[in-house]
Amino acid sequence: MPQQALCSVIEIAVNQALALNIHGMKSLTVLDQKTFTIQLSELGFPLSFSVNENKVLVTSLTERSDCTVNTSVQTLLALKKQQQITELIKQEKLDVQGDLKVAQQFANIAESLEIDWQSELAKHIGDIPTYKLSQFGSNLIKKFTFATQQIQADASEWLVHEKRLVVTASQINHFSQQVNTLTSHTNDITERIEKLSSAIAIKTTIT
Amino acid sequence: MADQQDNLQENVSKSHNDSTTHFGYQTVDKNEKESKVASVFHSVAAQYDVMNDLMSFGIHRLWKRFTIDASGVRPGNKVLDLAGGTGDLTAKFSQLVGREGKVILADINSSMLNVGRDKLRDKGLVQNIEYVQANAQYLPFEDNTFDIVTIAFGLRNVTDKDMALRSIFRVLKPGGRLLVLEFSKPEHEVISKAYDFYSFNILPKMGELVAKDGDSYQYLAESIRMHPDQETLKGMMDNAGFEQTSFKNLTGGVVALHKGYKF
Repeated sequence: MPQQALCSVIEIAVNQALALNIHGMKSLTVLDQKTFTIQLSELGFPLSFSVNENKVLVTSLTERSDCTVNTSVQTLLALKKQQQITELIKQEKLDVQGDLKVAQQFANIAESLEIDWQSELAKHIGDIPTYKLSQFGSNLIKKFTFATQQIQADASEWLVHEKRLVVTASQINHFSQQVNTLTSHTNDITERIEKLSSAIAIKTTIT
Repeated sequence: MADQQDNLQENVSKSHNDSTTHFGYQTVDKNEKESKVASVFHSVAAQYDVMNDLMSFGIHRLWKRFTIDASGVRPGNKVLDLAGGTGDLTAKFSQLVGREGKVILADINSSMLNVGRDKLRDKGLVQNIEYVQANAQYLPFEDNTFDIVTIAFGLRNVTDKDMALRSIFRVLKPGGRLLVLEFSKPEHEVISKAYDFYSFNILPKMGELVAKDGDSYQYLAESIRMHPDQETLKGMMDNAGFEQTSFKNLTGGVVALHKGYKF
Protein backbone atom coordinates (compact mmCIF):
# COMPACT_ATOMS: atom_id res chain seq x y z
CA MET A 1 0.00 0.00 0.00
CA PRO A 2 2.81 2.51 -0.57
CA GLN A 3 0.68 4.33 -3.13
CA GLN A 4 -2.12 4.85 -0.59
CA ALA A 5 0.45 6.12 1.92
CA LEU A 6 1.85 8.53 -0.68
CA CYS A 7 -1.66 9.74 -1.62
CA SER A 8 -2.40 10.30 2.05
CA VAL A 9 0.76 12.34 2.63
CA ILE A 10 0.21 14.42 -0.53
CA GLU A 11 -3.43 15.05 0.42
CA ILE A 12 -2.49 16.32 3.87
CA ALA A 13 0.33 18.49 2.47
CA VAL A 14 -1.80 19.98 -0.33
CA ASN A 15 -4.73 20.83 1.93
CA GLN A 16 -2.44 22.27 4.59
CA ALA A 17 -0.68 24.42 1.98
CA LEU A 18 -4.02 25.61 0.56
CA ALA A 19 -5.30 26.47 4.04
CA LEU A 20 -2.20 28.61 4.63
CA ASN A 21 -2.33 30.31 1.23
CA ILE A 22 -2.48 34.09 1.75
CA HIS A 23 -4.68 34.46 -1.35
CA GLY A 24 -7.33 32.23 0.23
CA MET A 25 -9.30 29.44 -1.41
CA LYS A 26 -11.10 31.53 -4.06
CA SER A 27 -9.08 30.09 -6.92
CA LEU A 28 -10.12 26.60 -5.86
CA THR A 29 -13.84 27.26 -6.31
CA VAL A 30 -13.55 27.26 -10.13
CA LEU A 31 -12.30 23.69 -9.89
CA ASP A 32 -15.09 22.41 -7.65
CA GLN A 33 -16.09 18.85 -8.64
CA LYS A 34 -13.21 18.70 -11.14
CA THR A 35 -10.50 16.05 -11.18
CA PHE A 36 -7.01 16.24 -12.59
CA THR A 37 -4.98 13.05 -12.98
CA ILE A 38 -1.26 12.85 -13.49
CA GLN A 39 0.46 9.62 -14.44
CA LEU A 40 4.21 9.96 -13.90
CA SER A 41 6.30 7.27 -15.61
CA GLU A 42 8.56 7.14 -12.52
CA LEU A 43 5.67 6.37 -10.16
CA GLY A 44 3.83 3.59 -11.98
CA PHE A 45 0.42 4.58 -10.63
CA PRO A 46 -1.84 7.59 -11.20
CA LEU A 47 -2.35 10.47 -8.80
CA SER A 48 -5.80 12.03 -9.04
CA PHE A 49 -6.58 15.40 -7.48
CA SER A 50 -10.33 15.92 -6.98
CA VAL A 51 -11.68 19.20 -5.66
CA ASN A 52 -14.75 19.12 -3.47
CA GLU A 53 -15.97 21.99 -1.28
CA ASN A 54 -12.53 23.66 -1.11
CA LYS A 55 -10.81 20.42 -0.22
CA VAL A 56 -8.52 18.39 -2.42
CA LEU A 57 -8.83 14.62 -2.36
CA VAL A 58 -5.87 12.62 -3.60
CA THR A 59 -6.58 9.08 -4.82
CA SER A 60 -5.42 6.60 -7.43
CA LEU A 61 -8.84 6.59 -9.09
CA THR A 62 -8.82 7.36 -12.79
CA GLU A 63 -12.52 6.85 -13.49
CA ARG A 64 -13.62 10.42 -12.79
CA SER A 65 -10.79 12.41 -14.36
CA ASP A 66 -11.56 15.58 -16.36
CA CYS A 67 -7.97 15.81 -17.58
CA THR A 68 -5.25 13.16 -17.56
CA VAL A 69 -1.59 13.96 -18.17
CA ASN A 70 0.93 11.18 -18.86
CA THR A 71 4.49 12.38 -18.50
CA SER A 72 7.74 12.15 -16.50
CA VAL A 73 9.24 14.32 -13.76
CA GLN A 74 11.94 15.53 -16.17
CA THR A 75 9.34 16.70 -18.71
CA LEU A 76 7.38 18.45 -15.98
CA LEU A 77 10.47 20.43 -15.00
CA ALA A 78 11.11 21.31 -18.64
CA LEU A 79 7.49 22.40 -18.96
CA LYS A 80 7.84 24.73 -15.99
CA LYS A 81 11.00 26.30 -17.32
CA GLN A 82 10.17 26.77 -20.97
CA GLN A 83 6.41 26.73 -21.63
CA GLN A 84 6.80 24.44 -24.60
CA ILE A 85 3.70 22.21 -24.41
CA THR A 86 3.28 21.75 -28.18
CA GLU A 87 6.92 20.80 -28.68
CA LEU A 88 6.81 18.24 -25.84
CA ILE A 89 3.55 16.72 -27.16
CA LYS A 90 5.16 16.41 -30.63
CA GLN A 91 8.15 14.67 -29.03
CA GLU A 92 5.67 12.30 -27.30
CA LYS A 93 7.06 13.29 -23.92
CA LEU A 94 3.71 14.69 -22.86
CA ASP A 95 0.29 13.15 -23.42
CA VAL A 96 -2.77 15.16 -22.45
CA GLN A 97 -6.27 13.68 -22.53
CA GLY A 98 -9.39 15.63 -21.66
CA ASP A 99 -9.89 19.27 -20.83
CA LEU A 100 -6.50 21.02 -20.87
CA LYS A 101 -8.07 24.02 -19.13
CA VAL A 102 -8.48 21.92 -15.96
CA ALA A 103 -4.76 21.11 -15.95
CA GLN A 104 -3.90 24.77 -16.50
CA GLN A 105 -6.17 25.85 -13.64
CA PHE A 106 -4.52 23.33 -11.31
CA ALA A 107 -1.09 24.58 -12.43
CA ASN A 108 -2.13 28.21 -11.85
CA ILE A 109 -3.21 27.41 -8.29
CA ALA A 110 0.10 25.67 -7.61
CA GLU A 111 2.04 28.64 -9.00
CA SER A 112 0.03 31.25 -7.12
CA LEU A 113 0.42 29.46 -3.81
CA GLU A 114 2.01 31.87 -1.32
CA ILE A 115 2.41 31.15 2.36
CA ASP A 116 3.37 33.70 5.01
CA TRP A 117 5.66 31.33 6.91
CA GLN A 118 6.71 33.97 9.45
CA SER A 119 3.13 34.67 10.60
CA GLU A 120 2.37 30.95 10.78
CA LEU A 121 5.52 30.22 12.74
CA ALA A 122 4.93 33.15 15.09
CA LYS A 123 1.59 31.65 16.08
CA HIS A 124 3.43 28.65 17.47
CA ILE A 125 6.74 29.94 18.83
CA GLY A 126 6.16 33.68 19.30
CA ASP A 127 7.32 36.85 17.50
CA ILE A 128 10.88 37.23 18.81
CA PRO A 129 11.99 33.61 18.22
CA THR A 130 10.40 33.81 14.77
CA TYR A 131 12.31 37.02 14.00
CA LYS A 132 15.58 35.50 15.25
CA LEU A 133 14.94 32.29 13.35
CA SER A 134 14.08 34.09 10.11
CA GLN A 135 17.22 36.28 10.47
CA PHE A 136 19.30 33.19 11.06
CA GLY A 137 17.63 31.58 8.06
CA SER A 138 18.21 34.56 5.76
CA ASN A 139 21.86 34.81 6.92
CA LEU A 140 22.27 31.13 6.24
CA ILE A 141 20.79 31.57 2.77
CA LYS A 142 23.05 34.58 2.09
CA LYS A 143 26.12 32.61 3.19
CA PHE A 144 25.06 29.62 1.18
CA THR A 145 24.45 31.82 -1.90
CA PHE A 146 27.85 33.52 -1.41
CA ALA A 147 29.57 30.15 -0.98
CA THR A 148 27.87 28.82 -4.10
CA GLN A 149 28.89 31.91 -6.10
CA GLN A 150 32.44 31.64 -4.74
CA ILE A 151 32.69 27.98 -5.67
CA GLN A 152 31.36 28.76 -9.15
CA ALA A 153 33.87 31.63 -9.59
CA ASP A 154 36.77 29.50 -8.36
CA ALA A 155 35.74 26.65 -10.60
CA SER A 156 35.52 28.86 -13.68
CA GLU A 157 38.88 30.49 -12.78
CA TRP A 158 40.43 27.06 -12.48
CA LEU A 159 38.88 25.88 -15.75
CA VAL A 160 39.80 28.99 -17.74
CA HIS A 161 43.33 29.71 -16.43
CA GLU A 162 44.80 27.19 -14.03
CA LYS A 163 43.69 24.09 -15.87
CA ARG A 164 45.91 25.15 -18.79
CA LEU A 165 48.96 25.04 -16.49
CA VAL A 166 48.21 21.63 -15.13
CA VAL A 167 50.44 18.89 -16.55
CA THR A 168 48.49 16.44 -18.62
CA ALA A 169 48.87 12.65 -18.47
CA SER A 170 50.47 12.54 -21.94
CA GLN A 171 52.99 15.20 -20.89
CA ILE A 172 53.90 13.12 -17.85
CA ASN A 173 54.30 10.05 -20.07
CA HIS A 174 56.48 12.00 -22.48
CA PHE A 175 58.58 13.30 -19.59
CA SER A 176 58.92 9.76 -18.17
CA GLN A 177 60.03 8.48 -21.55
CA GLN A 178 62.62 11.27 -21.76
CA VAL A 179 63.88 10.44 -18.27
CA ASN A 180 64.10 6.75 -19.23
CA THR A 181 66.06 7.61 -22.41
CA LEU A 182 68.39 9.85 -20.42
CA THR A 183 68.92 7.10 -17.84
CA SER A 184 69.75 4.64 -20.54
CA HIS A 185 72.21 7.14 -22.17
CA THR A 186 73.81 7.77 -18.79
CA ASN A 187 74.13 4.02 -18.22
CA ASP A 188 75.78 3.66 -21.64
CA ILE A 189 78.24 6.47 -20.93
CA THR A 190 78.97 5.01 -17.48
CA GLU A 191 79.66 1.67 -19.10
CA ARG A 192 81.93 3.29 -21.70
CA ILE A 193 83.79 5.27 -19.05
CA GLU A 194 84.27 2.12 -16.99
CA LYS A 195 85.59 0.31 -20.06
CA LEU A 196 87.95 3.22 -20.89
CA SER A 197 89.10 3.41 -17.27
CA SER A 198 89.90 -0.30 -17.21
CA ALA A 199 91.69 0.00 -20.60
CA ILE A 200 93.80 2.91 -19.30
CA ALA A 201 94.57 0.96 -16.15
CA ILE A 202 95.77 -2.04 -18.17
CA LYS A 203 97.98 0.18 -20.42
CA THR A 204 99.49 1.92 -17.37
CA THR A 205 100.33 -1.47 -15.81
CA ILE A 206 102.05 -2.69 -19.05
CA THR A 207 104.17 0.46 -19.49
CA MET B 1 -1.69 -21.16 22.15
CA ALA B 2 -2.51 -20.86 18.45
CA ASP B 3 -3.22 -24.63 18.35
CA GLN B 4 -5.60 -24.33 21.30
CA GLN B 5 -7.40 -21.55 19.48
CA ASP B 6 -7.60 -23.63 16.30
CA ASN B 7 -9.12 -26.56 18.26
CA LEU B 8 -11.56 -24.26 19.97
CA GLN B 9 -12.53 -22.74 16.63
CA GLU B 10 -13.04 -26.20 15.16
CA ASN B 11 -15.18 -27.33 18.12
CA VAL B 12 -17.31 -24.24 17.93
CA SER B 13 -17.83 -24.75 14.20
CA LYS B 14 -18.76 -28.42 14.69
CA SER B 15 -21.19 -27.69 17.51
CA HIS B 16 -23.26 -25.32 15.35
CA ASN B 17 -26.67 -26.26 14.16
CA ASP B 18 -29.19 -24.18 12.21
CA SER B 19 -30.42 -22.27 15.22
CA THR B 20 -26.98 -21.44 16.65
CA THR B 21 -24.04 -19.36 15.56
CA HIS B 22 -20.80 -18.15 17.07
CA PHE B 23 -20.19 -15.07 19.11
CA GLY B 24 -16.42 -15.02 19.29
CA TYR B 25 -15.56 -18.49 20.60
CA GLN B 26 -18.97 -18.97 22.23
CA THR B 27 -21.84 -20.81 20.59
CA VAL B 28 -25.00 -18.79 20.98
CA ASP B 29 -28.54 -18.83 19.68
CA LYS B 30 -28.88 -16.94 16.39
CA ASN B 31 -31.43 -14.59 17.94
CA GLU B 32 -29.02 -13.86 20.74
CA LYS B 33 -26.00 -12.89 18.63
CA GLU B 34 -27.51 -9.68 17.31
CA SER B 35 -28.11 -8.27 20.77
CA LYS B 36 -24.71 -9.42 21.99
CA VAL B 37 -22.93 -7.74 19.06
CA ALA B 38 -25.10 -4.68 19.59
CA SER B 39 -24.01 -4.41 23.22
CA VAL B 40 -20.35 -4.66 22.16
CA PHE B 41 -20.72 -1.77 19.71
CA HIS B 42 -22.88 0.34 22.03
CA SER B 43 -20.02 -0.02 24.48
CA VAL B 44 -17.15 0.86 22.12
CA ALA B 45 -18.85 3.45 19.85
CA ALA B 46 -17.52 6.55 21.62
CA GLN B 47 -13.90 5.35 21.56
CA TYR B 48 -14.15 3.48 18.24
CA ASP B 49 -11.98 5.79 16.11
CA VAL B 50 -9.30 6.24 18.77
CA MET B 51 -9.12 2.50 19.31
CA ASN B 52 -8.96 1.82 15.56
CA ASP B 53 -5.97 4.13 15.24
CA LEU B 54 -4.29 2.64 18.28
CA MET B 55 -4.93 -1.01 17.44
CA SER B 56 -3.90 -0.80 13.80
CA PHE B 57 -1.21 1.88 14.29
CA GLY B 58 -3.20 3.98 11.84
CA ILE B 59 -2.92 1.42 9.04
CA HIS B 60 -6.73 1.04 8.87
CA ARG B 61 -6.74 4.40 7.06
CA LEU B 62 -4.56 2.93 4.30
CA TRP B 63 -6.75 -0.19 4.07
CA LYS B 64 -9.77 2.08 3.62
CA ARG B 65 -7.95 4.19 1.02
CA PHE B 66 -7.15 1.00 -0.84
CA THR B 67 -10.86 0.16 -0.80
CA ILE B 68 -11.73 3.57 -2.21
CA ASP B 69 -9.12 3.18 -4.96
CA ALA B 70 -10.54 -0.26 -5.83
CA SER B 71 -14.13 1.00 -5.89
CA GLY B 72 -13.92 2.81 -9.24
CA VAL B 73 -16.39 5.35 -7.88
CA ARG B 74 -17.59 8.08 -10.26
CA PRO B 75 -19.47 11.34 -9.81
CA GLY B 76 -23.19 10.64 -9.65
CA ASN B 77 -22.81 7.12 -8.22
CA LYS B 78 -25.07 5.82 -5.47
CA VAL B 79 -23.02 4.13 -2.76
CA LEU B 80 -24.11 2.06 0.24
CA ASP B 81 -21.56 2.03 3.06
CA LEU B 82 -22.90 -0.91 5.01
CA ALA B 83 -21.88 -1.37 8.66
CA GLY B 84 -20.33 2.03 8.00
CA GLY B 85 -19.84 2.78 11.69
CA THR B 86 -18.14 6.08 12.19
CA GLY B 87 -18.22 6.89 8.49
CA ASP B 88 -14.59 6.85 7.34
CA LEU B 89 -15.51 5.42 3.93
CA THR B 90 -18.67 7.52 3.68
CA ALA B 91 -16.62 10.71 4.14
CA LYS B 92 -14.41 9.89 1.16
CA PHE B 93 -17.24 8.57 -1.02
CA SER B 94 -19.33 11.65 -0.28
CA GLN B 95 -16.60 13.86 -1.73
CA LEU B 96 -16.04 11.63 -4.74
CA VAL B 97 -19.64 11.09 -5.88
CA GLY B 98 -20.29 14.83 -5.91
CA ARG B 99 -23.60 16.64 -5.67
CA GLU B 100 -25.41 14.37 -8.14
CA GLY B 101 -24.36 11.26 -6.24
CA LYS B 102 -25.54 9.88 -2.94
CA VAL B 103 -23.99 7.91 -0.09
CA ILE B 104 -26.05 5.93 2.40
CA LEU B 105 -24.32 5.24 5.69
CA ALA B 106 -26.06 2.20 7.12
CA ASP B 107 -25.38 0.47 10.41
CA ILE B 108 -27.43 -1.83 12.59
CA ASN B 109 -26.13 -0.10 15.69
CA SER B 110 -27.69 3.24 16.61
CA SER B 111 -24.75 4.32 18.79
CA MET B 112 -22.27 3.82 15.96
CA LEU B 113 -24.60 5.59 13.54
CA ASN B 114 -24.92 8.57 15.90
CA VAL B 115 -21.14 8.84 16.32
CA GLY B 116 -20.73 8.61 12.53
CA ARG B 117 -23.41 11.22 11.84
CA ASP B 118 -21.93 13.68 14.36
CA LYS B 119 -18.44 13.19 12.94
CA LEU B 120 -19.48 13.72 9.32
CA ARG B 121 -21.58 16.77 10.16
CA ASP B 122 -18.64 18.25 12.05
CA LYS B 123 -16.61 17.80 8.88
CA GLY B 124 -19.26 19.71 6.94
CA LEU B 125 -20.31 16.66 4.95
CA VAL B 126 -24.09 16.93 4.86
CA GLN B 127 -25.53 17.41 1.42
CA ASN B 128 -25.32 13.98 -0.18
CA ILE B 129 -25.30 11.64 2.82
CA GLU B 130 -28.24 9.76 4.29
CA TYR B 131 -28.24 7.68 7.45
CA VAL B 132 -30.16 4.43 7.76
CA GLN B 133 -30.27 2.02 10.68
CA ALA B 134 -30.41 -1.30 8.89
CA ASN B 135 -29.69 -4.99 9.31
CA ALA B 136 -27.42 -6.25 6.49
CA GLN B 137 -29.55 -9.39 6.22
CA TYR B 138 -32.73 -7.44 5.49
CA LEU B 139 -31.65 -4.32 3.61
CA PRO B 140 -34.53 -1.86 3.42
CA PHE B 141 -33.82 -0.76 -0.16
CA GLU B 142 -35.36 -1.55 -3.51
CA ASP B 143 -33.74 -4.02 -5.89
CA ASN B 144 -30.98 -2.66 -8.18
CA THR B 145 -30.44 0.57 -6.23
CA PHE B 146 -26.68 0.97 -5.70
CA ASP B 147 -23.64 1.23 -7.96
CA ILE B 148 -21.29 0.28 -5.14
CA VAL B 149 -21.80 -1.45 -1.79
CA THR B 150 -18.98 -1.56 0.75
CA ILE B 151 -18.85 -3.36 4.05
CA ALA B 152 -15.69 -2.65 6.01
CA PHE B 153 -14.96 -4.62 9.18
CA GLY B 154 -18.65 -5.43 9.51
CA LEU B 155 -19.38 -8.75 7.83
CA ARG B 156 -17.87 -10.86 10.60
CA ASN B 157 -20.39 -9.42 13.06
CA VAL B 158 -23.37 -10.34 10.91
CA THR B 159 -25.35 -13.34 12.20
CA ASP B 160 -26.10 -14.89 8.80
CA LYS B 161 -23.37 -13.84 6.37
CA ASP B 162 -24.80 -15.76 3.39
CA MET B 163 -28.14 -14.04 3.85
CA ALA B 164 -26.41 -10.65 4.08
CA LEU B 165 -24.48 -11.30 0.86
CA ARG B 166 -27.71 -12.26 -0.93
CA SER B 167 -29.36 -9.12 0.39
CA ILE B 168 -26.45 -6.98 -0.86
CA PHE B 169 -26.60 -8.71 -4.24
CA ARG B 170 -30.30 -7.83 -4.48
CA VAL B 171 -29.80 -4.09 -3.87
CA LEU B 172 -26.82 -3.76 -6.24
CA LYS B 173 -27.49 -2.50 -9.76
CA PRO B 174 -26.42 -4.77 -12.62
CA GLY B 175 -22.78 -3.82 -13.22
CA GLY B 176 -22.44 -2.75 -9.60
CA ARG B 177 -19.71 -3.99 -7.31
CA LEU B 178 -19.40 -5.18 -3.74
CA LEU B 179 -16.26 -4.52 -1.73
CA VAL B 180 -15.75 -6.44 1.50
CA LEU B 181 -12.88 -5.19 3.65
CA GLU B 182 -12.41 -7.56 6.54
CA PHE B 183 -9.83 -9.14 8.82
CA SER B 184 -8.64 -12.40 7.34
CA LYS B 185 -6.03 -15.12 7.61
CA PRO B 186 -2.36 -14.06 7.54
CA GLU B 187 -0.40 -15.61 4.70
CA HIS B 188 2.72 -16.53 6.66
CA GLU B 189 3.09 -18.55 9.85
CA VAL B 190 5.37 -15.96 11.49
CA ILE B 191 2.91 -13.14 10.87
CA SER B 192 0.09 -15.38 12.06
CA LYS B 193 1.81 -16.17 15.38
CA ALA B 194 2.77 -12.55 16.01
CA TYR B 195 -0.77 -11.49 15.12
CA ASP B 196 -2.28 -14.09 17.49
CA PHE B 197 -0.05 -12.94 20.31
CA TYR B 198 -0.98 -9.31 19.65
CA SER B 199 -4.71 -10.07 19.32
CA PHE B 200 -5.11 -12.17 22.44
CA ASN B 201 -2.58 -10.61 24.79
CA ILE B 202 -2.16 -6.94 23.91
CA LEU B 203 -5.44 -5.97 22.25
CA PRO B 204 -7.78 -6.76 25.18
CA LYS B 205 -5.42 -4.97 27.60
CA MET B 206 -5.35 -1.96 25.28
CA GLY B 207 -9.17 -2.05 25.19
CA GLU B 208 -9.30 -2.22 28.98
CA LEU B 209 -6.88 0.67 29.34
CA VAL B 210 -8.27 3.07 26.73
CA ALA B 211 -11.94 2.12 26.27
CA LYS B 212 -12.34 0.57 29.76
CA ASP B 213 -13.76 -2.49 28.02
CA GLY B 214 -11.41 -5.45 27.66
CA ASP B 215 -14.24 -7.95 26.97
CA SER B 216 -15.36 -6.22 23.78
CA TYR B 217 -11.82 -6.32 22.41
CA GLN B 218 -11.48 -9.95 23.45
CA TYR B 219 -14.62 -10.54 21.34
CA LEU B 220 -13.01 -8.60 18.48
CA ALA B 221 -9.97 -10.90 18.51
CA GLU B 222 -12.14 -14.02 18.72
CA SER B 223 -14.56 -12.90 16.01
CA ILE B 224 -11.62 -12.30 13.65
CA ARG B 225 -10.47 -15.88 14.19
CA MET B 226 -13.98 -17.22 13.57
CA HIS B 227 -14.42 -15.26 10.33
CA PRO B 228 -14.13 -17.26 7.08
CA ASP B 229 -10.71 -17.17 5.44
CA GLN B 230 -10.07 -15.58 2.04
CA GLU B 231 -11.04 -18.52 -0.17
CA THR B 232 -14.12 -19.40 1.90
CA LEU B 233 -15.45 -15.87 1.74
CA LYS B 234 -14.79 -15.75 -1.99
CA GLY B 235 -16.82 -18.97 -2.32
CA MET B 236 -19.63 -17.46 -0.25
CA MET B 237 -19.72 -14.46 -2.59
CA ASP B 238 -19.85 -16.78 -5.60
CA ASN B 239 -22.74 -18.67 -3.99
CA ALA B 240 -24.61 -15.42 -3.41
CA GLY B 241 -24.49 -14.75 -7.15
CA PHE B 242 -21.50 -12.43 -7.48
CA GLU B 243 -19.28 -12.80 -10.55
CA GLN B 244 -15.60 -12.11 -11.22
CA THR B 245 -14.97 -12.41 -7.49
CA SER B 246 -11.42 -11.83 -6.33
CA PHE B 247 -9.53 -10.83 -3.23
CA LYS B 248 -6.39 -8.93 -2.45
CA ASN B 249 -4.46 -9.55 0.75
CA LEU B 250 -3.31 -6.46 2.60
CA THR B 251 -0.58 -6.35 5.28
CA GLY B 252 0.30 -9.98 4.73
CA GLY B 253 -3.29 -11.19 4.81
CA VAL B 254 -4.16 -9.64 8.17
CA VAL B 255 -6.85 -7.90 6.16
CA ALA B 256 -8.28 -8.85 2.77
CA LEU B 257 -10.34 -6.86 0.30
CA HIS B 258 -12.85 -9.04 -1.56
CA LYS B 259 -14.44 -7.73 -4.71
CA GLY B 260 -17.37 -9.09 -6.70
CA TYR B 261 -19.69 -7.85 -9.44
CA LYS B 262 -23.37 -8.26 -10.15
CA PHE B 263 -24.07 -8.69 -13.86
